[in-house]
Amino acid sequence: MQELGLSLLITLIKVLIIIPVALGVSAYLTWFERKLAGHIQNRLGPTVVGPFGLLQPIADAIKLATKESIIPKGADVPVYYLAILMALVPSILLLAVVPWGPGFQIAGKYIEPIISDVNIALLLAFAFGSLSVYGTIFSGWASNSKYAFIGSLRKAAVIIAYEVVLGFSVLGVILLAGTLSTVGIVEAQIQKGVWFIVYQPVAFILYLYCMLAESGRVPFDIQEAEAELVTGYNVEYGGMKFGAFPLAEWYLNVIALSAIAVVLFFGGWDGPQILGPISPYFWFLFKTFALVFFVLWLHWTLPRFQAKDITEIAWKILLPVALLNLIITAVVVYLF
Amino acid sequence: MEYIALAFALLLALLIALGQAILNDILGERKSDPLEDYPYECGVPLYDKEARGTFKQGYYLLGLLLILFDIEAAYLFPWAVVFKEIGLYGLIEVIVFVGILALGFIYAWRKGALNWEL
Repeated sequence: MQELGLSLLITLIKVLIIIPVALGVSAYLTWFERKLAGHIQNRLGPTVVGPFGLLQPIADAIKLATKESIIPKGADVPVYYLAILMALVPSILLLAVVPWGPGFQIAGKYIEPIISDVNIALLLAFAFGSLSVYGTIFSGWASNSKYAFIGSLRKAAVIIAYEVVLGFSVLGVILLAGTLSTVGIVEAQIQKGVWFIVYQPVAFILYLYCMLAESGRVPFDIQEAEAELVTGYNVEYGGMKFGAFPLAEWYLNVIALSAIAVVLFFGGWDGPQILGPISPYFWFLFKTFALVFFVLWLHWTLPRFQAKDITEIAWKILLPVALLNLIITAVVVYLF
Repeated sequence: MEYIALAFALLLALLIALGQAILNDILGERKSDPLEDYPYECGVPLYDKEARGTFKQGYYLLGLLLILFDIEAAYLFPWAVVFKEIGLYGLIEVIVFVGILALGFIYAWRKGALNWEL
């Protein structure tokens, strides 16, 4: 009984540390992104609130929280609110299957820095990724605005196209690792001494495309299209209700999908022991944020594709490549 | 225990999301303006009262294709996990399976379901 209570307590502490920290990091990622965008475009970015504009996310949060709550005329109110839940909850739950490092002992108790180390972790991750499409569809439908409606349809088309490719592209890694557990995949790579990107470079490129598309980043941000759709599906949301959507898809999703990419292709916490006992955690965070940085960098550098190009790239180029990659990997794994 | 952890995470996520959803109703100011709930329409009077109308059927076709392919992918996940144990049988089976899938894919392509302009 005491044992059970202790493990429940540890679980609760893990949940209460990992999720708020991730949310805080996402909030500060807005500052980082604006600073980065500023410097890419030869501006300074936020400078006014606090030193280097460091208090800007807090100021933004207070501003968003104290706005008046406006619900557009003719909106479907329950669905309007449900959309926020459906956008945010799956994105937060994605973080539950990310292993932030190897397990360690504290006072004779073995603790793994992952909220939920289940053997179907990858399946769960993709399920949560798929669920986030409901947030988009609901918000577009409930808002009673043509801009929101078109934006949500476009985003739904992008998400469902790239989700198929995502599923097929990671199958190669699962074949090599023989498990769906995120911890198991990292351990398979450490055991083999090779990161899976060496065996599966094509799958990684496909995954990268899908990551950009699923999180609505440039060059696949057709649902935003500021110039034509004025940010698309969330145009009728205001205040913190609006804040939930970019937080979920631009920041939480990018962090979680980058972390899963690190697990799948970059050996997780594998790396040289440069910082003693904390180096695995350092390596995991370093690789994750390198990928996040890469995504932000693309966002402020590339133009966007047309809706037509986006879906046709997914179905006509990426999907055949992913199928071929799967068959070739299966044959090679069988032969060797 | 791991699933209990997931339930905890779900609970916290729901709390955070609910908080974000209703924060403005609690903290926000309450001025009312006759036009404040007017849907965005570039400043001109609303053209249609109801924005939820017909939409491009290309989206519908893509939805159908998703059902075809995403479910196939879901079948392949368990196969990939046990592939090393089932060996040659598994390999041949999956080539047949993906072959049938590819036939359907080629059919959809030839019919033009993948083209955006319809």
